[in-house]
Amino acid sequence: MSGTGGLPPRPEGAHGRSLSYLPADRSFALLTDYDTRRTVRATFGELSEQHLRAARNWQPSASAPWTLDMGEEVEGYGTFRFPYGPFSMGVPEAGTFELVTYGERLLEVLPGFGQKPRGILASLPGLRVEEAALRVERMVGPYSTAHVAAFLFAAEAAAGTSLSAEEAQVRALGQELQRVYNHLHVLARLAEAASQNVGQAQTHALAEEVLRLAGRHFGHRWLFGSLLPGGPRRRLDRVQRTELDRSLAQLGSRFEALWELFQGSRTFVDRLQGTGRVGRSQAISWGAVGPVLRACGVPWDDRLRDPLPPYHDLFLPLAHQSEGDALARTVVRVEEVRSSLLLLEQLLDRWPNGGTFDPLLPVSPRRGLARTEAPSGDLVWDVLLTEDGRVRQAAFRSASQANWPLFALACRQSVFTDFHFTLESFGLSFAETDG
Amino acid sequence: MPSWIGQAIKRGILTSRFPRGPGSEDELPETSRPPVLSPTSDPLPTLTRATGDCPTGAIDPDGLHHGKCVRCARCTRKGFVFAGPAHPCADSREGLYAPGGGPLPEHRNASPLAPLGRSLQLFLVDAGSCLACNLEVLALANPYYDSSRLGITFVNSPHHADVLVVVGIPTDPLLGPLRRAYEALPGPKAVLAVGACALEGGIFRGNPGTRAPLSDTVPVDLFVPGCPPTPLDILQGVLTLAGRANRLPEVHP
Repeated sequence: MSGTGGLPPRPEGAHGRSLSYLPADRSFALLTDYDTRRTVRATFGELSEQHLRAARNWQPSASAPWTLDMGEEVEGYGTFRFPYGPFSMGVPEAGTFELVTYGERLLEVLPGFGQKPRGILASLPGLRVEEAALRVERMVGPYSTAHVAAFLFAAEAAAGTSLSAEEAQVRALGQELQRVYNHLHVLARLAEAASQNVGQAQTHALAEEVLRLAGRHFGHRWLFGSLLPGGPRRRLDRVQRTELDRSLAQLGSRFEALWELFQGSRTFVDRLQGTGRVGRSQAISWGAVGPVLRACGVPWDDRLRDPLPPYHDLFLPLAHQSEGDALARTVVRVEEVRSSLLLLEQLLDRWPNGGTFDPLLPVSPRRGLARTEAPSGDLVWDVLLTEDGRVRQAAFRSASQANWPLFALACRQSVFTDFHFTLESFGLSFAETDG
Repeated sequence: MPSWIGQAIKRGILTSRFPRGPGSEDELPETSRPPVLSPTSDPLPTLTRATGDCPTGAIDPDGLHHGKCVRCARCTRKGFVFAGPAHPCADSREGLYAPGGGPLPEHRNASPLAPLGRSLQLFLVDAGSCLACNLEVLALANPYYDSSRLGITFVNSPHHADVLVVVGIPTDPLLGPLRRAYEALPGPKAVLAVGACALEGGIFRGNPGTRAPLSDTVPVDLFVPGCPPTPLDILQGVLTLAGRANRLPEVHP
């Protein structure tokens, strides 16, 4: 990995900070961060103008606003900037990247945010919780259940309303189904990048089967509305549960057969191994979450660390790897497909017969906060309600927001053809970043 | 010794019968069908009652605008059912308005691209979507829909495309790139607007920083409603653009 055009060695990131990367208590002050977030947005905006600036002290909290500094500018003989996006079929989403390169090697990759802000947070104040939830779940389609579950748990904590056990069960069911879909989708995209055409087609087919199961049993392929009061059909009777369970078992065995073939494919494994490596200390100090963090040897999962009902009753094997490269992230995702299928089996098997859960403790009067583990990682929603139960303010911190600087670090000194492997294995979303 | 080929053969043919026959039950989940007034309910009082409940203003006392509907199912508590004819589309925004809340009339082939015959190249543009529409459009390439059997493929540049498939509510920063992508398309060309956000702004209509509807930015030839539309809805839209809807495919199924 030499031949960087005589550039000085890059700083390795913000070391020497305390390990406060995921606060254990519920004092995460997103709401006071509301103004800070605007500053962050402004800073993100500057990213594309000032180039070569990204996160240092990346800690989404009130006291430490996100400041972005990727170190000194990359300069050198023949270095140029290559803009990529916003519309490119390589990335199925509108977002820009600025690649700094002198040819083959990527010296720096800078994601440009703010291409698709849809003003969602700004549109929430004044709405009833159910109306706001319709907007929250349509912020990121593939992660809709994680967002809406976190939002509703936070709103329930704020309002002090209890939750029926069946409702909680459906929330978990929806989240795990979507996790399986998303991880399969990432695997298919990686196979596509590695030109594994049969594997890609077969994995896309499996992902499609998950959507069809959601459509058949919940009435909507992306589970929009399925977690909301008054949404489309969402009461699963015994027959449906047995059928869903059987279909998932079948899906699981098909998945195992595919993964065995992927593991045996040198082309596939070689492209992932060592690509887009993130160090453990880097991941911790920059505040990585989700599969990215777990692939670096940090066994952290909100479903275990801070379980919302009904996760505290379920057995969940925690997947983690230590290599920190694209292969490790993929293996974590594969393990999570397995553990999600196991969770789904338990959820369908132990269907609650009545009963309620108490709401979470509010962080302050009329203000609640909840975290869920979205397919991309830790997700936080913080909701402040008015006296009559409408949304006064709401804020979120998504896994994509937390993981972008790690992506920028992982891309350094890789080559052009590694770009998609790094990007897809991180599983980042611009929609979830811009809000 | 397992092999890719063996695995693929073992799975067999997964591909949908559509458009040779109607989509299967799995391809048409409940919310993929547009809402219509249930036969048992009285139009005027039902529409009036449902008007206040509709979060996107799709329902008014005179009828239902399918382009605005996000299939949230609120109106199903007030006398609507998801039972309209599958795969709605229209070549104008007004064409998606169903007076009296009844089913939409079936759309004739718009076919601005009929001269292109059997093959169509699509370029996907995300104008500010939640990703669900993007993934539904791209799902056309998976073995279950396999659009290439119908001569429909995705290309990597607007310069190579016949159809711009636009998803999402246009955001301010993407208006310029959107127009440039449209201009880059060689003629004859067409724009397919997919999903409630692209049609009328969906649930995000009127949010700061957004510019709905899409047809104010680029001319749209066909509107496919849904939140998100299913892959079959989108496929039907593409076939309608090419003047091939409701005609048996001429390529090997």
